[in-house]
Amino acid sequence: MADPIVTRELAKIYREGKIEVTALESIDVVLQEGEVVGLFGPSGSGKTTLLSILGCILRPTSGSISIYGNEVANLGEDQLPGIRKRFISFIFQGFNLFPALTAYENVMLGLKMKGIAGQDADRRAQAMMTEVGLADRMHFLPRDLSGGQRQRVAVARALAADSPIILADEPTGNLDYDNGRKVMELLKEMATAQRRCVVVATHDNRIEDLFDRVLYMEDGSIRQEKRGSA
Amino acid sequence: MFYVALRILLYDKVRSLITLLGVVFAVGLIFNQLGIFLGLMETSSVIIDHTPGDIWVTSKNSKNFDFSQPFPEYIYNHTIADPGIQSADKLIVAWGIIRQKEGGTEQVEIVGFNPDSGDGGPWEMMAGDPRRLKNGNFAIVDESAMKRLGKIQVGEYRDVLSHRLQIVGISRGVKSFTTAPILFTSFVLAQRLVPYMGSDSTVFVVAKVKPGVPVEQVIARLRGRLKGVDVFTHADFSMKTRKYWAIETGVGFSFMLTIVISFLVGMLIVGQTIYNSTMEHIREFGTLKALGANNSDIYRIIFSQAMINAILGYIVSLLITVATVKFYELGGMVMVVRGWVNFLVLGLTLLMCLSAAFVSVRRIKNIDPAILFRG
Repeated sequence: MADPIVTRELAKIYREGKIEVTALESIDVVLQEGEVVGLFGPSGSGKTTLLSILGCILRPTSGSISIYGNEVANLGEDQLPGIRKRFISFIFQGFNLFPALTAYENVMLGLKMKGIAGQDADRRAQAMMTEVGLADRMHFLPRDLSGGQRQRVAVARALAADSPIILADEPTGNLDYDNGRKVMELLKEMATAQRRCVVVATHDNRIEDLFDRVLYMEDGSIRQEKRGSA
Repeated sequence: MFYVALRILLYDKVRSLITLLGVVFAVGLIFNQLGIFLGLMETSSVIIDHTPGDIWVTSKNSKNFDFSQPFPEYIYNHTIADPGIQSADKLIVAWGIIRQKEGGTEQVEIVGFNPDSGDGGPWEMMAGDPRRLKNGNFAIVDESAMKRLGKIQVGEYRDVLSHRLQIVGISRGVKSFTTAPILFTSFVLAQRLVPYMGSDSTVFVVAKVKPGVPVEQVIARLRGRLKGVDVFTHADFSMKTRKYWAIETGVGFSFMLTIVISFLVGMLIVGQTIYNSTMEHIREFGTLKALGANNSDIYRIIFSQAMINAILGYIVSLLITVATVKFYELGGMVMVVRGWVNFLVLGLTLLMCLSAAFVSVRRIKNIDPAILFRG
């Protein structure tokens, strides 16, 4: 079976008029099932751009990217949602939960976007809310939850649909150390148990020990790769 | 998606209320202007529409019911002589002056008809009988005239064009576009009352065609034979009168302008609030896209918001409009609220709200993925 994500000579150049800015160059990575990978680097190093391309939100300028064997670099805007729907879920620093919907409804909406509805969705949402420890907060609006709890809802939304690839952008960025670590531990535990491929872009060196592999980025390139202790 | 849209609207209560008020205001204004305009149009041709008859013969180039010129009475004889005509009546519509009880005068529109047939006369009586107009200086006034003429009772006398007339009946539902009170008399009396009319003139001939005879055929024949007059079908003359008041006087334009402005104001209010709401939820919508939602999935949420605003605003406006119809009647105005008008306004409301949502849809289409990654 093909690896979840394989990139070859991936590059991204932003053009504004005559000015060209190279955001990524020569990125070659192979990400495997059950692997939790940390993407470290200073601001502007290309972490977010890489995450966007891995998530099929942004298209590379050159190079190739394969998602479970599907070459997506040259797919059109109308085809990318299908790839995301099938393979990818996201967790964002700002949680991005609908404030008008309860925690449970946010998870349900995420499932609906993945094409899962009805009793199956209900069962999955309830099970996932229980797994992230929010069974008693299911019908709370996001404003009535703490930052850590909101991020747990976002984790539940990302994991409920069984997407094999989870991409997280600074998931601990808006949380204090304890809560951030708890969320990351939960994500790692669940992802590893379910053989998901998880990529986390972060600045937070304090959670470095939770990753199976760490990629250090600088000026759009991967400068260093380290196997984690996790 | 409808549920999500509803939850977003219920969550942003203040904004939703403001949007709803905006829709109610705009749609209420559209209902109001359209209803009053249609009321005026109906009023302008109300006597034509209530007069039985297939064919109207008028003076040459007559533009409307209220300001037609007299023509010789022999035209009536030529008309009734046509083999396709079953019967015909003469009708006078002219302007006169009525003296007020307490002094002063008011202009009135005099309608002289044949009391034997009743055609061209009042169709609903509050008091009295139109047949009493025969053989004397008798008149019927409409109840709507009392605002201008003061309280009038059957049996009292009023001076019209220097003739003392006895009021023998009060009609209902006869209003003129010009707002002048309508005064019904016999055709013979109207000929005598109106100085420029002459004893051998009429203003209209209204004819009924024999059963089974095509009206257009008779009209074509009459047009060929009658000189110095125009011949219309009942419906054409009604429409000609309505068009005159609506288009040539500019009344229709001013009403339509208000309707268009109301539509645009409503569109701006709805558009702005939905756009603001979309911008506030742009990250969430972006997240849905990231999870695999198509643009159309998100459009459905936005259009559902617009639809909910439209339907709720429409219902509230309709209820207010229905409740105010009586209020308008008390003020002497006619506001038309009918099924087809309601459907038309519903269509306009949906168009207004859904087109307002397009700005937001464009924004969703072009979501910059980078916003998802900003904390």
